[in-house]
Order: sequence, then structure tokens, then C-alpha cells
Amino acid sequence: MRDLITAALEAALAAGATYADARVVDSSREELRYSTGRVEVVERTDSVGIGVRVLADGAWGFASTREVTDASAVETARRAAAIAKASALVAGAPVVLAPLEPATGTWAGPCEIDPFAVPLETKLALLEAADAAMREQPEVSITEAHFGCYRERKWFGSSEGAFTEQSFTETGAGIVAYAIDSDEVVTRSYPNSHGGGWKQAGWEYVESLDLLGHAPRVAEQAAQLLTAPLVDPGVVDLIIDGSQMSLQVHESIGHPTELDRVLGEEAAFAGTSWVRLEDVGSLTYGSEHVTVTADATVPGSLGSFGFDDDGVPAARDVIVDRGVLTGLLSSRDTAPALGRASNGCARADGYNRIPLVRMTTVSLEPGTWDFDDLVADTGEGLYIETNNSWSIDDKRLNFQFACEIGWTIENGELAKMVRTPNYTGITPKFWASCDAVCSKAHWDVWGLNNCGKGEPMQVAHVAHGAAPARFRGVQVGVGR
Amino acid sequence: MITPQAALELAQRAVSLTHADEAEALVIAEQSALTRFANNRINQNVAEDDVLLSVRAVIGQQVGVASTNRLDDESVAACCASAVESARIAPADPSFPGLPDYEPARDSMRAVEATRAFDETARAQAVGAIVAESASRGLTCAGKIRVSEQVIAVANSRGVQQMAALTGAQATVLSMGETGSGWASFLSRDASELDAAALGTEAADLAVRSADPTDLEPGVYPVVLGPDAVADIMDFLAYTGFSAKAFEEKRSFMSGRVGTQVFSPLVTIIDDAYSDTAIGATFDFEGAPKRQVPLVTEGIAFQPVTDSYWADKAGYQNTGHALPAPNPYGPMPMNLEMIEGENTLDELIGSIDRGVYVTRFHYVNVEDPVRVTLTGMTRDGTFLIENGKLTRPLKNLRFTQPIVEALHDCDGVTAERKFVGTEESASLVPALLLAHFNFTGQTS
Repeated sequence: MRDLITAALEAALAAGATYADARVVDSSREELRYSTGRVEVVERTDSVGIGVRVLADGAWGFASTREVTDASAVETARRAAAIAKASALVAGAPVVLAPLEPATGTWAGPCEIDPFAVPLETKLALLEAADAAMREQPEVSITEAHFGCYRERKWFGSSEGAFTEQSFTETGAGIVAYAIDSDEVVTRSYPNSHGGGWKQAGWEYVESLDLLGHAPRVAEQAAQLLTAPLVDPGVVDLIIDGSQMSLQVHESIGHPTELDRVLGEEAAFAGTSWVRLEDVGSLTYGSEHVTVTADATVPGSLGSFGFDDDGVPAARDVIVDRGVLTGLLSSRDTAPALGRASNGCARADGYNRIPLVRMTTVSLEPGTWDFDDLVADTGEGLYIETNNSWSIDDKRLNFQFACEIGWTIENGELAKMVRTPNYTGITPKFWASCDAVCSKAHWDVWGLNNCGKGEPMQVAHVAHGAAPARFRGVQVGVGR
Repeated sequence: MITPQAALELAQRAVSLTHADEAEALVIAEQSALTRFANNRINQNVAEDDVLLSVRAVIGQQVGVASTNRLDDESVAACCASAVESARIAPADPSFPGLPDYEPARDSMRAVEATRAFDETARAQAVGAIVAESASRGLTCAGKIRVSEQVIAVANSRGVQQMAALTGAQATVLSMGETGSGWASFLSRDASELDAAALGTEAADLAVRSADPTDLEPGVYPVVLGPDAVADIMDFLAYTGFSAKAFEEKRSFMSGRVGTQVFSPLVTIIDDAYSDTAIGATFDFEGAPKRQVPLVTEGIAFQPVTDSYWADKAGYQNTGHALPAPNPYGPMPMNLEMIEGENTLDELIGSIDRGVYVTRFHYVNVEDPVRVTLTGMTRDGTFLIENGKLTRPLKNLRFTQPIVEALHDCDGVTAERKFVGTEESASLVPALLLAHFNFTGQTS
């Protein structure tokens, strides 16, 4: 691959580039899905291609092709250079890249049991059994059990002399039970909604989930939710479980601290941010209990790698330190606006996409509370689990989330089940109301492989470490 | 770019290499380019060239799918063999009806040369014209211009042989001042129809008008939704309600309600891949011709869209709305239309004493699929209506609203409609007057 990438880079420079990089990505995917007693998906896909990114006349151009040959790499590089020169027809200040020592080396993510090598029969048998176990519950009329694995090999080279090779194996699985009556659909998922649980790992991760063991509980809770009441509208003290906290962090801290959004580069699609460049170092983002890190070195996380797609080595950075904004997620072409080096958050969704500022593992650092103690200390309130829907405005200020399930907290104990509780808030006010985060014992890293951003759309695989946390005075039961 | 005939030949070759009881091959080739701009300059500018071959193998009622973008002989054969291997191991689906039979599709060659020729220089010039309209007023604008050429071919062992040549051109513009913003969008098969300066003017004018927005107490108000906002609602009706899979699984608002009044008599919704504006193929990803489907007629639920699997299961005709196999989502309408009414936009606004005008929504999501309860934010031009006139801009509002109830109380539909969406899925929609809309919060 080095020769191919070198050919592309030399062609780009010969065509007038002042900087160029090229990525070859070779990926494979397997998806299996059972639904309500029938196999719905048995699919294997593979893909390969090269993308060349070029700076010419101070502006970016990018082109990609599935043809991985020297000739097509050269042609693609020339096309990228021509596109960059067209970009310069409507240019602002020239693009500046943060300085970087050219990286070389290899990196491989963890994988104990190759998920592609596990017999299809074994994987399908597990899904069939988990799907069937949920249907033991008569009120549950639709069930899903799914498995997926993804492997990627990536070669990166730049005109500055970088050359890296990386490989990733991701594995995920989950189950979902739907209980339906004439005018109500309720959902219960495990280990998480919207695609289940995902890690950089092998089949051992699926085994650790014990889908079969959880299926009866998931189905029973779905059945119970059908007759559970809605949460009473009002303002409550709210404890949010780790999985929903991961999405809360994602939407209301991860995205608004992406430097490209802060700079207005994503304004027309994903939106901008309520955070301003000059806020770094002084803005009170939340309470003293809120410390958030962006860390691409967390073992087994979907947000981990050896080098980002700018060639920046994986790093850990503190974004919010005890409530104060201290950093932003950045790339080489955005970091100069902050006067800092890139903290390694440039990631592309495949060979045919450019790197954008994306999350790595953006985590709410654990606190000190035991979960039972937190419930007891709350006295009266609400505890909720597992995201059902999410919505947030273009500045990442005004959000509303619904969860699959909740329980009222009465006299310091979990009491009455409620169905699809929702809550709403304004980002800084909400994080300022956080007065407790559970300890490391309750903290887990939640993989999200469906983070959409950019045009053309890119879907990033990111993760969030989170534990249950408490927020005072939150509005719940909105619009019900 | 691969020709339609070559794509069909590739699909037919893959079918012949797939040693199963039945086989289907789908080829999707695409060359596309997208010029993005922000802060009044081009910030991203990309092009791609890809071909996907997807093979579905059927052994009895066991089904396996494999796909690749490697098109050398060895890789194509390996893809076909992988599909067969998966089918051999997959448990049988007793409901699988077999692959569809051949039925010719019409009007499938829709590529427009002007779109193919809209290169990076043309896109940059168009961006320049858009940006000038904002920059000259001290505004900042962002958006995109995308052009694509697509070739699709489907073949199967029962004689299906379809091919299509398609083009699409899309532009969006967000113009922003210190406190207000405006939006404009364009979608067509033909890039030469893009009037970049006019699009830039539309967004900039709206940004100026929406400056210095004011508060509005959350609550239930009559609302006029502009076409971009209506298109969002149509997307979610399609996603939650118009699929035969959702319908059969009783997750759709139409489940058990066919023949009953679900919306106002003013609301008629069809799916029509053959209209003058429609974009995309006139056959689905199984090669079945798309039929014009009346989904809701004068407010009465009529039928969902189907593919071969769900048509057989639900007892409906195959309407030709399959997504690429394997498809856990079920069939999906891609060419929705809400039939025009008789009103002008001024008449809708003029009929309201106190209410809200919404240009478009942002980040809408479903809280309850049966009632199609959606929550989301307004964006880029929200105005207070007082005594039949737009009086002042409003800060963005959050809504939480069962859409079935809102459309049941639809009191007006404009005659003028707008084509909104993407090359993959778009709606032809009017503006609507809804008697009740629940705004549940505001960003101050």
C-alpha cells in the first residue's frame, strides 16, 4: 500500500498541492438479525477504496475511488487537486494546519475471538434462542435479536512523511422486545437501544452480554410497561442511568464542544454551538461534579485508535474540568483557531469521506456515589433508563429525551414503574444542576455506532464512559 | 461511469454465478460531488466514484445476502458464493414468497446531461452567487450544492431485468445574522434549473426578517407550517406509518384504521414515482415497478406501500417499494406527495388571530410511533401571527405534538407546493394550516 499511497501523494504535489494525504480503507461487515421467529438479515459486505485529500491554493479538495490501482490513485489525486483549486475560487483565509511530527507505526485494536471466524450457525442459534425466549411473554408481539461485526484495515500517508497502518475489529449485539396494544407501542432493549452494545472486541464481548439470560427480564418489563402509567408532568429530582447519560453527554457536551461546529463550519446541517471560542478556559459548563474527557486511548472503546485520520497520535484531553470548559475537540485544520495543537479528533467514515471533527471516547468522569445510596439520598424523585428518543436544537442548548422505562423514587427507594418518561432542559442549566455522579463501580463505556454528521453524511463510531448521575429540578412528562 | 447496459450485464452475470434455487443481483453505481460552504467560503469539496454489487441467494426459503464494491471476476464470484453460503446456513423463513416476477418499468432513463456537466467550477460559481447575496448584507451563509449521477440495475433468476440512469441536483442555503437566520432549498433532476442568486436572496431576505426574535409563552397555538416543515412530517409518517411492515406489526397509525377518517378531509397523500418532479428510479430495489399508491385519501386511510415479502404477507398488491435486501425496515415510500389545496399562503396566515408560522424544523424525532408524536425545534424563520399577519420573529420553539391529531385538525392547504428532500427520498408538499400545535418550550 505504501507505493500506491506514495503515487497518489506525488501526483497531488505535482498537480499543485501544498499538502496531501491519502487513505486506503479495506473493510468487511457481517450483520445477522432475528425478528419475531424469523431470520431477517444474514448479510456479509466488503468494500475497498482510496481517498485523496489535497490542499491547493489554500483550500481543500477531496476525491475518492473504489479502484485501488496506481493509475486510479494518480487520477484521483489529480482530481482532488482540481477540486481544491475550484474551492479557492470562493475562499476565505488560507487553510492552516496545526504543526505535527509525521507519525509512523502500526496499531491494532483488541480482539480475542475473531467474530468472523465463529460459525454462522453458532451466532444464528444464539439469536434464535434469545428471540424465542422473549416471545415466551404473551404481551410481547415483536422481538428482535441482532449481531454485527465490523473489521477495517486502514493505511494512511501524508506528503509530510507520515505513514501508518491500523486495524479495528468491532462487535455488537442486542435484543429488543415490543409490546403492543391498540394504541400503544412500548419498547425494552438490552444492553442498549438503537443497535445494542458495541465494543472494539471479538465474539467474547457477545458472550459477556448473556443475551439469553437477560431475555426474560427484558420481555417481562416490556409487558409491564404496557399498563404502566405515564410520568406525572412536573419538576423532579432525576437520576439518569449510565446508558442514557452516555447519550446526554454525546448530545449536550460532545457535539457542542466540536471545534468545527464552534467555528460555524457545520452550520447548515448539524448546526453550530452555544459554546464560543473565547469561552475556553472560563465558561461554567456545569457543576463541580462535571468533569469530561475526550480519550482515544480507552481499551476496547469504539472511540479508540492509534492515530486519527489527520495522522495525529491518540490522546486524552480534559474538555470540562470540574465544571469549567477547558478544551474543545479538534483537528489539524481547526486547532489553529484555538491556538493549540490538534487533540486528535479528525475521523472519516470510510475511504470515500473526508475527516471531520468527531468524538472519540467523550466521558463523564465517575464520582463517588453508590447507586443505592444515591436513590436513598434522593428521597422523592424519578429514575430512568435506556434512551427511546432524542432531540436537540442547532446550538445544542434545548434538548428533550425520552427513555424506555422509569421508576418513581419514593421514600428513598425505587417504587412505581412509569412508561417512556421524557425530560427536557437547557444545556448549561441542566449540567449546573448535576449534584452527584456514581462511582467507577457503576461506570461503563457505551459504544454508539450511529453518530451522524456532515454532508455527504458520515456515521461515526464513538463511545462515552458514564455512570448514573443525579440532576436537581428537571422538567419531566413534557407534552403528555 | 458504468453504463446502464453494462450495469445490467454485471447483475445478470452475478445471477448466473449464484448457484442457488433463485438469485437476484442489484448494481448501484454512483458518481457524485458535493461542494460545501460556510462562513461565506467553500470549506469542503468532495467527489466520489463507487459501484455496489449486492447478491441475494435463495435456497428453498433460506435467504442470504452478500455485497462488494470489488468488481474483478474473482471478487464477483466470491460475493455470489458468500451469498449462497449464507443462504445454506440461514434458517428457513416460511413466509418468504420467492423473488418477484418480471414486469417492465417505464420512464427509467431520467439522467439530465446538464447535471452531469455541473462540475467543480460550475459549483464554485454557483456558491459564489449564493454567498454574494448574504455577504452584501453583512450576513454569513452556509450550505451545499450536490450533484449526482446514478445507474441502477436489477436482475433475477425469474427474468427481472431493470436498468435506470438518474441524476439529481440539490442545494441548501442557511443565511445567518447576529440574531436571525433564513433558509432556502432546491432539488431537481436538472442542475441547470438552479438559480443560485435567487436561492441566496431567499435565504438572506428571511434572515433579515427574522432578526431580533422575541419570546412566546409555550402553549397550544394554531400554526402555519411552511413546506420544509411539512416535508419533515411526511418523512416521519413514511417511517412510522406508511410501511406494510409497520402496518402488519400494528405499529402504524393506519393499523386497523383502513377505511376510517384519520386526517382532515383536506389531506390526501400519495406516493408517485412518475410525477414531473419525482426523482429516483421507477422500479424498486427488487426490480418491481413502482405503482402510484393512494396512502390517505381525503383523510381516510387507504393502504400502506409494500414490497414482494410484505405484499404477500399482508394480502396487498406489490406496490414496488422495496429497499435493498436484506431489509429489516420494510417497504418505504420515496416519492411522497401531499395533494394541493385551494388556498394561498396569505389566506392561511390571514385566517389566524394569534398563532405561529414555522419555516422549518430541526432534529425531529419520534416519541410515540402510533400517534406519531414528534418532538423537535423550529429553525430559520419562526414568526408570530397576529390578526392575520406575520408581526414579529420568535425565538426557536420546541414542539411535542401527536401528528395524527394535528393533521386531523388541518384547516387549510395551499395550492402551491414545493419539492423538498434529497435525491434518495423527497416529498412534494404544500404549506398547511393546523388548528392546534403544542409548543412545549423555548430557547431563551
